[in-house]
Amino acid sequence: MHSRAQFGKWGEDVACRYLAQQGYAILERNYRSAFGEIDIIVEKKGEISFVEVKARKTLMFGTPAAAVTKSKQAKIHRTAFQYLQTCNRRYRQFWFDVVEIYAIGGKTTINHIQHCF
Amino acid sequence: MYAKIYGETTCGIDGEEIIVEVDIANGLPGFDIVGLPDTAVKESRERVKAAIKNSGFRFPSVHITVNLAPADLKKDGSGLDLPIATGILLGTGQIACANIDDIIFAGELALDGSIREIKGILPMIIRAKEVGKKEIFIPQGNSAEGELVDGIIVYTPATLEEMTKHLNGNIILTPLPKHRLKLETNHFTQVDFADVQGQVVAKRALEIAAAGGHNVLMIGAPGAGKTMLARRLPTILPPMTEEEALEVTKIYSISGLLGKTKGLVMERPFRSPHHTISHNALIGGGSVPKPGEVTLSHNGVLFLDELPEFSRSALEVLRQPLEDGFVTISRVQASLSFPATFILVSAENPCPCGFYGEEDGVHECTCRPNEIERYQKKISGPLLDRIDIQIHVPRLNYKDMKNTLPVESSATIRKRVKAARDLQLKRLEGTKLHCNADMGHKEIKKHCILETQAEVLLEKYFVGLGLSARSHDRIIKVAQTIADLSASNIITGRHISEAIQLRTSNQG
Repeated sequence: MHSRAQFGKWGEDVACRYLAQQGYAILERNYRSAFGEIDIIVEKKGEISFVEVKARKTLMFGTPAAAVTKSKQAKIHRTAFQYLQTCNRRYRQFWFDVVEIYAIGGKTTINHIQHCF
Repeated sequence: MYAKIYGETTCGIDGEEIIVEVDIANGLPGFDIVGLPDTAVKESRERVKAAIKNSGFRFPSVHITVNLAPADLKKDGSGLDLPIATGILLGTGQIACANIDDIIFAGELALDGSIREIKGILPMIIRAKEVGKKEIFIPQGNSAEGELVDGIIVYTPATLEEMTKHLNGNIILTPLPKHRLKLETNHFTQVDFADVQGQVVAKRALEIAAAGGHNVLMIGAPGAGKTMLARRLPTILPPMTEEEALEVTKIYSISGLLGKTKGLVMERPFRSPHHTISHNALIGGGSVPKPGEVTLSHNGVLFLDELPEFSRSALEVLRQPLEDGFVTISRVQASLSFPATFILVSAENPCPCGFYGEEDGVHECTCRPNEIERYQKKISGPLLDRIDIQIHVPRLNYKDMKNTLPVESSATIRKRVKAARDLQLKRLEGTKLHCNADMGHKEIKKHCILETQAEVLLEKYFVGLGLSARSHDRIIKVAQTIADLSASNIITGRHISEAIQLRTSNQG
């Protein structure tokens, strides 16, 4: 596997462990549709969250969350709606979250931005 | 985190306080500006971001919402860059200032953090003082305007960094000194009435126009000197009062027309728009109305050369400002009133070829009667009715032109005009009127005293020429000005007959 893809996969693993710790149940990972991909889909207390994971080794190109552009958000939206139509479950509420992972100087920091778009 | 900062925008010719609210919240990084911003204000996002970063501050990577209140007022111009940047710095704790509510910020930011000059600073400062603010930060390029207003501390930081250091108490900026307004010295170096040989009648008419604020129409053949005369009218107008000068400076500040010195406009404006001007350019317009030529000639002279060549619609929109001294322009975005008190000076030829009534054996009028009629009819009766003085400017003969006799200079004429204006101001004290031309029927009845002989003369003319009631009042107004010029407190027969002579027009 390519190292960049490996780093991304590693970031998603870190985010999954973190979310599990926070009491979320992981429903899907790398859910794909014709429109795009959702990194992680989780559930907590009858509410579903679609999570985009962004990991960075340097801040030279801005913060991780700044890379979730409007067009990326649109892709996630459309994929999410497709998931909701096909999942055969009803949720009280649905959200879109971003998990930022800073892997700078050997230290890993996680920042969970909830309900952000 | 939330921060509140005060900024200013312009609305008409006045400043308007804008509350800039900045909310900094967690979320995806973003920067939104709400509250009816125009394009220049929306683009301030990029300028503010770069300026903060390049001034050595931190631009927070969170969601920033900027609200400009009141939300229903359209904000224009780039002067809100500075308050927005200050709000972000305050909201992120990079500025700590206790009395931020007493301060107004106005200025455009460059990407490197320096503060650029903007239009309309003077009305903003005046407004800031009115609403009781104690300090205002303006760009250095606008400092000449900052010196004009007393009663408010004006700072001119060069950069965002310098301003922030001052607010944090790290350095102390020196406030701008205040300049006393000096209006006595008026220097028109280019033109003077001493340049004009002959044309005694026209010069006298312009002196009367200047003394009483009357509108003038000059009719004459091409090359007779109409334009030359009109250009010299501002040189004999009395100097502006402090109040008038500030008002004119405000208008020029908003239009971005202050000259190189950027300070107080001390000379009365003289505007001579080309005859292809549209009616919007003449009275003001635009989706957010901007001042037009009539407002730019406020307290000065509006010169319309070749009057019949102006489009009908452009001429007809002059009626309201000529009558009321202001124009109200209504658009979807805003309905604004601009001041427009000016002396209208206009010039025209008697006919399309220019020589009707001027035949001298060499030149002959080649126009057909219906052409002449059509040409003269281009100016409507109601407009002509508002022009108090209508004179004929004859062609000069060779002897007059080559005359080397000394001619009265503008300064001498101006002294007489000033004396006559002082009399009028005293007479009209307590009213909003400034000169004889402003008087209505009521004031004329109250102030203008006619000698018996004058009364008899007026009646004879009135019946003989079939004058209208409005013409009657206007003759008395002009006669009053003539009386003022000769320092007489009653209107005599001589004054009345001169006033009647100044109406050679065949209409009304």
